[in-house]
Amino acid sequence: MKILGIETSCDETSAAVVESDGRNFEVKSNVVSSQIKIHAKYGGVVPEVAARIHVEAILPVVKEALGPDGAGKIDAIAVAAGPGLITSLLVGNETAKILSWFWEKPLVALNHVEAHIYANWLTNKKIKFPALCLVVSGGHTELILMRGHGKYVMIGETRDDAAGECFDKTAKILGLGYPGGPAIAAEAKKLKVKSEKLKVKFPRPMIDTKDFDFSFSGLKTAVLYAARDFKNKDELEGIVPAMAHEVQEAIVDVLVAKLIRAAKKYEVKTVMLAGGVSANKRLRERFVSEIEKEMPSVDWNIPDFEYCTDNAAMVAAAGYFHAAKKDFTPWQKLKVDPNWEL
Amino acid sequence: MKKVFKNEKETLAFAERFAQKLRGGEVVALIGELGAGKTVFAKGMASGLGIKERVQSPTFLLMKIYNVRPSTGLGHKIKHLCHVDAYRLSDAVELVDIGILDWLGRADTVAVIEWADKVAALIRGRKVIKIKMKLGGGEEKRKVEVISN
Repeated sequence: MKILGIETSCDETSAAVVESDGRNFEVKSNVVSSQIKIHAKYGGVVPEVAARIHVEAILPVVKEALGPDGAGKIDAIAVAAGPGLITSLLVGNETAKILSWFWEKPLVALNHVEAHIYANWLTNKKIKFPALCLVVSGGHTELILMRGHGKYVMIGETRDDAAGECFDKTAKILGLGYPGGPAIAAEAKKLKVKSEKLKVKFPRPMIDTKDFDFSFSGLKTAVLYAARDFKNKDELEGIVPAMAHEVQEAIVDVLVAKLIRAAKKYEVKTVMLAGGVSANKRLRERFVSEIEKEMPSVDWNIPDFEYCTDNAAMVAAAGYFHAAKKDFTPWQKLKVDPNWEL
Repeated sequence: MKKVFKNEKETLAFAERFAQKLRGGEVVALIGELGAGKTVFAKGMASGLGIKERVQSPTFLLMKIYNVRPSTGLGHKIKHLCHVDAYRLSDAVELVDIGILDWLGRADTVAVIEWADKVAALIRGRKVIKIKMKLGGGEEKRKVEVISN
């Protein structure tokens, strides 16, 4: 079965064609047109700008994803219908509607977070249930337990800021760029003298609580106070790599600790990462090393870098499982839901 | 009215009591830097209105609507809390695009807007209560000033 995926939840306009028999997933095309450079000057995603650029990009992106074969070869269309920015979601969903009507192809409406989780299936490694997935991005920090395809239980989430938001806001406090995750990671790498690490210490919020929730707003405040303490600008600049390093360590420590504890409690067979923050190299390293140390019999899986941030291949992969069950949404009934909770 | 709160718990408790005095249709404008406690204040308001759902930072989604369940509400006419975050925005028009005008000023809705100073044009002329928040000495302390017009 060949699925056309469409993704416009936030600042990426993407379309992809994925073919699958349920075991193997082959990405035929995955076209992503990003607005990050445009948004960087605003320090984030501006919905009006985002929607306008999605409108300009969507048709060329879909056309390129389909290739010379065109629509003749696809069996279904899958689109992320929420959560996200309403104006951005509308562009992808209206496009999917029209294509479904015009080509007479069935339509799958699915959750954007679900699509992130299914980026794991694009690795073609066998994923055994029950599985646990840590979904981390600019808008989400959730631990989701899966007992089978399409069966989700959220066992923990952030109580305030998302992990990606914490990267963005601490990067802003430290005068680094946007998006914050890559900016913090690059700055942390500049830390040459190991003893510098000892100069700053940030809290690991909620790392010892028994539940599986997260909290990152206190870490943001701690960074704010630490940055203020260095009144002298030169002194602050000298310590920024050490602070960036410590921010990254604090976020990764909490994420990995809670993930491991939840995986043990629910006796899962596979542990997965998903979402934009899972492109963070330090998180990927620590995720693998801690699982191999603490739970050597448990499988782990991480999407390839290109499928961590928003993309349509993951939408098509998740769409395959809906289409296989004939779980379609008639185009007349397709509605976006900017607050859709999985 | 100016207040100093020693910790997050005190800010939450004050915001709860504050919300219980609202009548509907108000726009609560939260103004203060990163980490000043704006989301904490919004959480306290939600709790005061009888919303059981978890209130997270709306920075990413920009706007989130919480419904007051009849069983947990205070029995008055406030049915919705519209939680907005203008942090990433440079212009009020962007909030209009995502449908904020459907909610502002509605008699059954209270709006709470973080970084309201960034979207001043949107709230001018409405029933606004300004809450200015500042970091105090020590990581937990916050200074809060309530200005009604």
